[in-house]
Amino acid sequence: MNQYATIEHTFRHEYGQLVASILRRVGAHHIDAVEDAVQYSLMQAVDLWCRQGTPDNPSAWLYLVAYRKFLTELRDIRLRENLLAQQSPLADEYVTDYAEIPLLDEMNDSFLRMLFVACNDAIPVESQMVFTLKSLCGFSIREIALRLFTSEANVYKRFSRARQYLVKNTVPLNVLSDADIKTRLPMVHRVLYLVFTEGYLSSHCDKAIRIDLCEEAIHLTQLLSESTMGKVAETFALLALMYLHLARMNTRQDDSGALLLLEQQDRSQWDQPLIAAGLGFLKQSTRGDNLSRYHIEAGILAEHCLAPTFKQTRWDQIVASYELLERIAPSPLHCLNRAVAMAEWKGPKEGLAVLQFVDIPDWLARSYYWHAVQADLFYRCGEKTLACNSAGKAIQAAPTADIKCLLHKRLAKCGLSP
Amino acid sequence: MNNNTYMCILRSKPGACSQPSPSDMELMFAKYRTWQDKFSDNIVDMGNKLGDVGAVVRQDGVNDGPFIELKEIIGGYMTITATSLDEAVAVIKESPMVANSGVSIEIREIMTP
Repeated sequence: MNQYATIEHTFRHEYGQLVASILRRVGAHHIDAVEDAVQYSLMQAVDLWCRQGTPDNPSAWLYLVAYRKFLTELRDIRLRENLLAQQSPLADEYVTDYAEIPLLDEMNDSFLRMLFVACNDAIPVESQMVFTLKSLCGFSIREIALRLFTSEANVYKRFSRARQYLVKNTVPLNVLSDADIKTRLPMVHRVLYLVFTEGYLSSHCDKAIRIDLCEEAIHLTQLLSESTMGKVAETFALLALMYLHLARMNTRQDDSGALLLLEQQDRSQWDQPLIAAGLGFLKQSTRGDNLSRYHIEAGILAEHCLAPTFKQTRWDQIVASYELLERIAPSPLHCLNRAVAMAEWKGPKEGLAVLQFVDIPDWLARSYYWHAVQADLFYRCGEKTLACNSAGKAIQAAPTADIKCLLHKRLAKCGLSP
Repeated sequence: MNNNTYMCILRSKPGACSQPSPSDMELMFAKYRTWQDKFSDNIVDMGNKLGDVGAVVRQDGVNDGPFIELKEIIGGYMTITATSLDEAVAVIKESPMVANSGVSIEIREIMTP
């Protein structure tokens, strides 16, 4: 369907499907043993498929090897726990034959169910995300740490929180009620959104690493949108948002890898097929009564994607959308964005005026976004001293060298120095 | 014309091998396939892995393995054909197996009368 969907991550995707399918059968509290068994089956596959060729049905092969490995391990564990293997109900409980290998639809269904199990209020959202990335998307702890800019120990800690929950609360994947699904769907959306933005906003030097979280989020959202559990307007709005962001991903940096502002981006390089697909999803998302933050965010992106130039953007529409967004999902960040749009629409003074009445939380007042926007607006109002002051603070607060560099360039262009 | 057959013996240092992630494994698999395609005329038999338990039989008795006194463990074997030892070395040099640190592959011609 597009260039991003064709990149294969067969092993990673098999990993998540196998973990979810086996957990559905044996119970989510077996998470450790099941993940070990799936890891084992993939390693066997690399070795044996090289020697003997790939089997006709690789998924079934992997499932069977993993499932048998799990049974052996469980038997060993129970033996160690001084239970007689013969007397344990295990042999009958999990008896297997080839016919029981789940079909693809069933595997996808198990996979989504597991996502709904993990996206659960009882687990902190950061842990929901790490669990999703590790156990369902098949990233290793090391790979996640690299992508989330944090330590492996930290990722492991977050993963453990989710794991503990699953081990302590025997969650049956089969009995997720429609009500459960309905209440958890917004949490599933939030995790998918987080996975996407982690990739999109990342300033990692390796493009492949930046993009694979985005791809993963799209893959999961697409799967969700095709299922009875998740075929709702919000899911399509989320997909639209992801596609419309991704369409501009390549132009966010210049040839040297430095970040570019929207105004400087080469619009002719935006990926038109992705934009078209995104607009298609946006259209699908209107078939519902619910207006979610994803709808509005995707709508704002659509305005940018459809505007022939920066100047010709319908800034009034964008200001209105941010206003709406603040009402639906209050965040001072939306206000900041509205100020920027307002400055383009009515001028920098009106932009600054938007910020005057906002309650700025501490985290935002210390962030580079806040100072950078203020510096820009002050400068355009002719307040050079205030602008320099804010610019200095912005550079100091910038989290990465790339962003510092972008701010320095912008300052130099204005003939200012921090 | 590949008229010589070579036995390739894979040795590796025990332990210290971290678990590969699914992506690592996929990459490894892809590398194997590329290598196998490139040298399909040379590869006779991808061989097998060898188990890590074994025994050594000598005139004066039998010792159980694994042979922890050795610095390297023989982990597997395969057979290839080539016109010369140089060519056999070239084939093996490009294999993904040698990319792993701590792995060495010994190449010996199988002598036929």
